Amino acid sequence: MISGYIEGIIILICVNSIAAMGVSLLTGFTGIFTLGHAGYMAIGAYTAAILSVRHDVPWFVAVIAGGVLAMALAYLIGVPTLKLMGDYFAIASIGLGETIRLILENWQSFTRGARGFPGVTNFTTLPVAASFFLGMLILMRFLINGNYGRAFKACRDDYIAASLLGFKTAHYRVLSLTISGFYCGIAGALLAGFLTYLQPVMFDMNKSTELTAVVVFGGLGSLSGSIIGTAVIGMVTEVFRPISQYRMLIYGATMVLIMVVRPEGIMGQHEIGPRLIRSIFSRKPRNEVDGAHG
Amino acid sequence: METLIQQIINGFSLGSVYALIAVGYSLVYSILLFSNFAHGGFLVIGGYICYYTLAAVGNNIWVASLLAFLGAGVSAVLVERGAYKPIRERTNVTLYLLIASMGMSIVIENIFVVTVGGRFRALPPVIPMTPVSVFGLATTSAFDILSLIMAMIFLIGLQVFLSTTKWGLAIRAASYDLKTAGLMGVNVNKLISIVFFVAGLLAAVGGIFLSVRYTLYPQLGLITIKAFVAAVIGGLGSLPGAVVGSLILGLAEMLTAGFISSQMRDIVVFGMLVLTLLWRPTGLFGKHISEKV
Repeated sequence: MISGYIEGIIILICVNSIAAMGVSLLTGFTGIFTLGHAGYMAIGAYTAAILSVRHDVPWFVAVIAGGVLAMALAYLIGVPTLKLMGDYFAIASIGLGETIRLILENWQSFTRGARGFPGVTNFTTLPVAASFFLGMLILMRFLINGNYGRAFKACRDDYIAASLLGFKTAHYRVLSLTISGFYCGIAGALLAGFLTYLQPVMFDMNKSTELTAVVVFGGLGSLSGSIIGTAVIGMVTEVFRPISQYRMLIYGATMVLIMVVRPEGIMGQHEIGPRLIRSIFSRKPRNEVDGAHG
Repeated sequence: METLIQQIINGFSLGSVYALIAVGYSLVYSILLFSNFAHGGFLVIGGYICYYTLAAVGNNIWVASLLAFLGAGVSAVLVERGAYKPIRERTNVTLYLLIASMGMSIVIENIFVVTVGGRFRALPPVIPMTPVSVFGLATTSAFDILSLIMAMIFLIGLQVFLSTTKWGLAIRAASYDLKTAGLMGVNVNKLISIVFFVAGLLAAVGGIFLSVRYTLYPQLGLITIKAFVAAVIGGLGSLPGAVVGSLILGLAEMLTAGFISSQMRDIVVFGMLVLTLLWRPTGLFGKHISEKV
């Protein structure tokens, strides 16, 4: 059987992939750039931890509750703030993510603040993480390939044309943020069950940056790309663990290098599947990726 | 009453340092239309150059700060040439520049972690911290007054540079439309380098004052998030907006710290950002850009 160490890495990649799928929907498919999604993970994580430790709620219910609460918060935040475009939303999302973290840190009586929240049962085993990952992946594929997915992509590619075609663009932008909040909430809750110990600093701006970076690495507008991106970054982090002080340096340099060499990311807008293999063999000229304009 | 005046002076002092950083960030934004997250790195570079020069030449703040300004300015130009130029020449998607700048900020921060370590360093006492009485109404430190005055000098200097020199004119033209400015015969690459040099220099001024205020460490650059917030409150790309936003933010932060609690100051800062944007989605002085169909 696989060792505990490898198992831990796989669980982490599964959990982070769920969060990356959420960010991928928002940034890759709807074209809204976010730098605060660690905040939604924090909400999911703390909800699940507090419910399961203090109120003896079964872990599965606690995880779902974490996702739902993060989703509700994302909706409440999205309705007013998604009027903002481009970099304005990006900076506002930093503010919102940091505010969530600061509130968790200062609400000592409820979250134990910076001392951390211990004693969560270790419910995120490999089968649990893997089945959540698969379930969420299938849901996301249905969403993206369906009518809603088309509407999201229309909002990304041409905001004005989409609204002229009768799409309620504001409605779809909020919906996209709400769903991505749910995904990040679930991921956070599973993370709580894996680490058994939570600290607000785990969900700081670096975590948010990482979530967005893996999505860009993988390719904006490619779901499988986001998952590959998460796996690659997760493994790079583990491979360079022995020289841990250079790890962040290499991570940052990789980020710059990918943008300089291959800005469309590992997968571009392609998905892994029969269509990709066919397109490789038919050697059609590839379309330039337009990316997200925000 | 005395605390109020004292906190207002401190607020303006902190706000003016934010303004130095926010103005550079906003200047880059007005030309290239992306948020340069590596801006905090220039500040840290300036701070460290100042620290080590002070140690080497024996506490001569003028030499040290001059070297820090030059060093930060040059490194800003190098970052632009090395990381951003290849991207902006290939595509006009500003998102890629933004991600590259985040990578660059992680790189700069960790270069210092790897080479000099993550320790907190205090600058030698080169800037006077003696208490000063303001018209007998309140007492504040000489440092606060000095940083306010220096920041004003540099901001006025920037304004003079932008409004009287030929390159200043070119920069103002490019902030309307970079491509058209290029067609009118402006050397665009040189112009962008100048903009980055100026931004790096101003960040270094801010960096020296911040490292006196909070001590120097590799993550000090993260404080630029507040300068970004200030620039967004003022309206991205607008220099007067960046200054006004920074002063408002500095005041809010110091008044919160003085009268409510020190832990609440960051929450207040981000709360103000969200409220301002809900009220005016492009900031106080932001241009309302109507997209062409």
